Amino acid sequence: MSGGIIDPTKSRSTVTAAGTDASRPEQLRDLRVGLLENGKRNAAQVLDAVGHVLAERHGTGPLVPLIKKQFAMPLPDDLVDELLAGCDVVVIGVGDCGSCSASAVADGIRLEQAGLPAAVICTDAFETTSQAMAELKGDQAYPFILTEHPIANLTGEQIAQRAGGLAERVAERLLVGRPASEAA
Amino acid sequence: MVVGHEPGGDGRVSEASAVDGLDPVASALVTEYLYDQGWSDGLPLVPATEESVKTFLAHTDRDPDEIVARLPQLGRTATVRDVATHAVMAGCRPEYLPLVLTAWDALSAEPSVLGGGWQSTSGPAPLVIVNGPIRSGLGINSRGGVLGPGFRPNATVPRALGLTVRNSFGIVPHKLEQATQGIPGRWTICIGEDEENSPWEPLSVDGGLRPGADAVSAMLVRTCEFVDNRHFADPIEVLRDFADTIQRAGPWIFRHSSVAIVLNPEHAQLFADAGLDKQDVREWIATHAGKTEAELAAVGKGLSHLAEGPFEPDHFHPVLADASPASLPIVVAGSRNAAMSMVVRIFSTWSGRSFPLR
Repeated sequence: MSGGIIDPTKSRSTVTAAGTDASRPEQLRDLRVGLLENGKRNAAQVLDAVGHVLAERHGTGPLVPLIKKQFAMPLPDDLVDELLAGCDVVVIGVGDCGSCSASAVADGIRLEQAGLPAAVICTDAFETTSQAMAELKGDQAYPFILTEHPIANLTGEQIAQRAGGLAERVAERLLVGRPASEAA
Repeated sequence: MVVGHEPGGDGRVSEASAVDGLDPVASALVTEYLYDQGWSDGLPLVPATEESVKTFLAHTDRDPDEIVARLPQLGRTATVRDVATHAVMAGCRPEYLPLVLTAWDALSAEPSVLGGGWQSTSGPAPLVIVNGPIRSGLGINSRGGVLGPGFRPNATVPRALGLTVRNSFGIVPHKLEQATQGIPGRWTICIGEDEENSPWEPLSVDGGLRPGADAVSAMLVRTCEFVDNRHFADPIEVLRDFADTIQRAGPWIFRHSSVAIVLNPEHAQLFADAGLDKQDVREWIATHAGKTEAELAAVGKGLSHLAEGPFEPDHFHPVLADASPASLPIVVAGSRNAAMSMVVRIFSTWSGRSFPLR
């Protein structure tokens, strides 16, 4: 039908696994919360602020700040091991660039598969690329949390304000997982 | 629906009889079919068939299944065969294939390519630079209009790279590709160095290869800006003009930036006549191009937030990290009809390595 014209996308790998989250804890009390930041401006500050709200409202245990140095790349194995050994749940973010947003989603999916409940935060300017990565990883309905873009120029006060709302959505993601009714 | 072509020995429809048999209606249908599949960068494509890809593969000794490009974050790769397929689709001649493959060797060595460059908001373009006799062998332009259109290898080789990114990696605009505006020239910048009109050794020697070798160097770039200094009298004035463009605040984002210069042969000759070699030019610019903390702060780009900060207002921030060829590659190209050069800001860094054609 196509006269022997080669489909140049045919060798592209497709993943058909996934779609499953780690099992969820019943509550966040005393749990060690990983804060996996990607080095983008204000990412560490946003995650830290979210962590403190979680501690205040949910009585979480120690905050474990970690940095992903190569923000576009898959998580290195030793960092995955460190997360699995040192955290009970993890907050990942903030996806605020072309490659790191998609990568944050990939990291979230990988950690869920490894058994670590994860909440991924991206800015809304990068919704389509975050969604594209979820699809590429075979988990079209992967729920990532969107926050208003941009975050790089927020003041400390604005970050604190932002974290208040985000923390509840993070807690819900970590505790409930993915409700059937929730759109990604 | 699709009429098969009859390739000559070199893979193109070359004989007079074949020209008589051209079927523009069928061709238009093929063009539309290729658009409909979503494989195009927006321009018409050439259909790739097993036969045409085989003709291209005959120009390399490499295993068709060898992986030449990979993106671990997407779990995707491109083989020699995939690259050949896209070279066909981009409009390359079969003998360009080693050039496209070597461009991938070069790009695959770039941390910025592996580190998310194709998905980046900067929308950077690969700048592909060709050295050696292959330039005349393939008709690669290195002189007038070197950054512009009109020359098949210059136009189709970088296009083949872009099609590979699109189809083999699946990085498509508005999805995994997040260019904010992108730069003019994305997937269109491949230049020869005008070695014959350069007073210096070619870029490929800076990149570690022997003089006279057929070679490809590649880097990602995020701006191109003219330095039009055609009424020059004094080489230092011209160097100041380069420094002024290189230190412009607009594209400044990190502490340092690497910058390439596509240097007009007239400017190169001016420097050489003044006794400056390429390294002298680099060192002058590395020392002089920069801004103070106060100047950067005045445009909201002070660097005092960095771990190395805070900085005094009169602290001088050089643009370049050092005066190495990797931080400031210089390529001589363009016409000698007016002394215009191009400052090309590199996306992140350049590895400083040139790759032998294979």
